Amino acid sequence: MAIIEVSNLKKSFGELEVLKQITFDVNKNDVVAVVGPSGSGKSTMLRSLVYLEEINDGSISVAGHKLVESGIYSKPKEINLITSKMGMVFQHFNLFPHLTVQENLEIAPKLLKKEPFSVIQRRSTELLEKVGLSDRAKAYPSQLSGGQKQRVAIARALMMDPEILLFDEPTSALDPELTGEVLQVMKNLAEEHMTMIVVTHEMEFAKEVANRAIFMDNGEIIETGHPSVLFTNPQFDRTKAFLNRTLR
Amino acid sequence: MSTEFINMIMPMLEGAKVTILLFLIAIVSSIPLGFILTLGVKSNNKIVSWLAQTYIYLMRGTPLLLQLLFICFGLPLLPVVGEYLVLDRFVAACLGFILNYAAYFAEIFRGGLLAIDKGQYEASHVLGLNKWQTTTRIILPQMFRIALPAISNESVTLVKDTALLYAVAVPELLHFAQTAVNRDFTVVPFFFAGMIYLAITLVLTMFFKWLERRFKFV
Ligand SMILES: Nc1ncnc2c1ncn2[C@@H]1O[C@H](COP(=O)(O)OP(=O)(O)OP(=O)(O)O)[C@@H](O)[C@H]1O
Ligand SMILES: [Mg+2]
Repeated sequence: MAIIEVSNLKKSFGELEVLKQITFDVNKNDVVAVVGPSGSGKSTMLRSLVYLEEINDGSISVAGHKLVESGIYSKPKEINLITSKMGMVFQHFNLFPHLTVQENLEIAPKLLKKEPFSVIQRRSTELLEKVGLSDRAKAYPSQLSGGQKQRVAIARALMMDPEILLFDEPTSALDPELTGEVLQVMKNLAEEHMTMIVVTHEMEFAKEVANRAIFMDNGEIIETGHPSVLFTNPQFDRTKAFLNRTLR
Repeated sequence: MSTEFINMIMPMLEGAKVTILLFLIAIVSSIPLGFILTLGVKSNNKIVSWLAQTYIYLMRGTPLLLQLLFICFGLPLLPVVGEYLVLDRFVAACLGFILNYAAYFAEIFRGGLLAIDKGQYEASHVLGLNKWQTTTRIILPQMFRIALPAISNESVTLVKDTALLYAVAVPELLHFAQTAVNRDFTVVPFFFAGMIYLAITLVLTMFFKWLERRFKFV
């Protein structure tokens, strides 16, 4: 069953048409890898889903609720409801530098969820353990390595119990030796059947973890399929050219 | 201690009280006012933003001394309303300092806001925080931390600027030092005045250093 439905999405920055006619569905429990050359619109597409970008035309609905239909956005209340179903992890972590790791996790549920603080605390403790950072709860983000920061960011997103997690190149800002620990956390989430959309350059990871890959180029989805098929037997020249460049 | 010395130092300490009082009033009022001005500049309302920017430009573009003289001696000369604008000198001076320093603090805060990465707003948005929560919980604490060294610097300048009260004849530290120099034909009071200013700025600097350490996260 589709949990995200995107149809005919169009987005321009001024004259520049960044997304041309994007249509795709994401099923519950899917792990979707989005790949494509730089500037092809992957980030913009992902950001549109959580209303970080306002699209010009097309429809997006999440878990049956319409975020935008034919370019007309729903009421703010409905928009909030929809975006609250999604968590997002950024390339540059975007942790709150003035808060400790634990406070980073707890601030949003503390302000937004109607549940006792003890419940929130229990969850933050659990999630820090899950990402292997129990001993860094009192540290500030500046005291962490990149890999640790990204794991905190993932835990922070999970604190709000999202149904879908979006990742925008979560390992691209990391030293190569630190990507593994982050990919491992994501792998664990996939095994727990978290629905995820991951924009990534990590082809190995995509092959191993994703059950669907989307190849984007120049604001369009060129082709989509199971990674094992798409990466080894692409139908289109543009896909082939891209894969030749990235897989060598 | 000789009575001569006490006769010299006591009025200066009285004057120092005025200096410190002015400083405290000016700083606790101009910082919030400055912040409101920053919000004004950033406002989506064009008129509000323009007014705030113009205000800041006027206050920073003209000498504080001119502004003080204007409030103390200029306002009462205005036609019709002038007679209602004869303020107590000290009150007038406080007003001048607050209005002037608010403009400087507004610029400092604006700089602090510019230094905050847009990723902070985006992370807040995807976590579901509303605009108010984002501003008060995420942006302001970072802005104040970033602005702290500049605020510290501006405060030290403010301490020294209080000497401008001399020009509008409010008896403060420098006034009494000058009186003592004239009366006793000695340069010593100037040194004492200097030491008192140094003591005030030292305490202030130490306070801000402590704040910077206390809120060290970057
Ligand atoms: N805020 C913006 N204003 C103007 N142009 C933008 C903006 N954001 C993105 N663009 C442009 O839109 C196009 C698509 O950008 P996007 O970031 O979505 O690409 P991407 O596929 O994520 O690339 P990368 O792999 O480099 O992250 C690019 O040409 C980019 O320059
Ligand atoms: Mg991108």
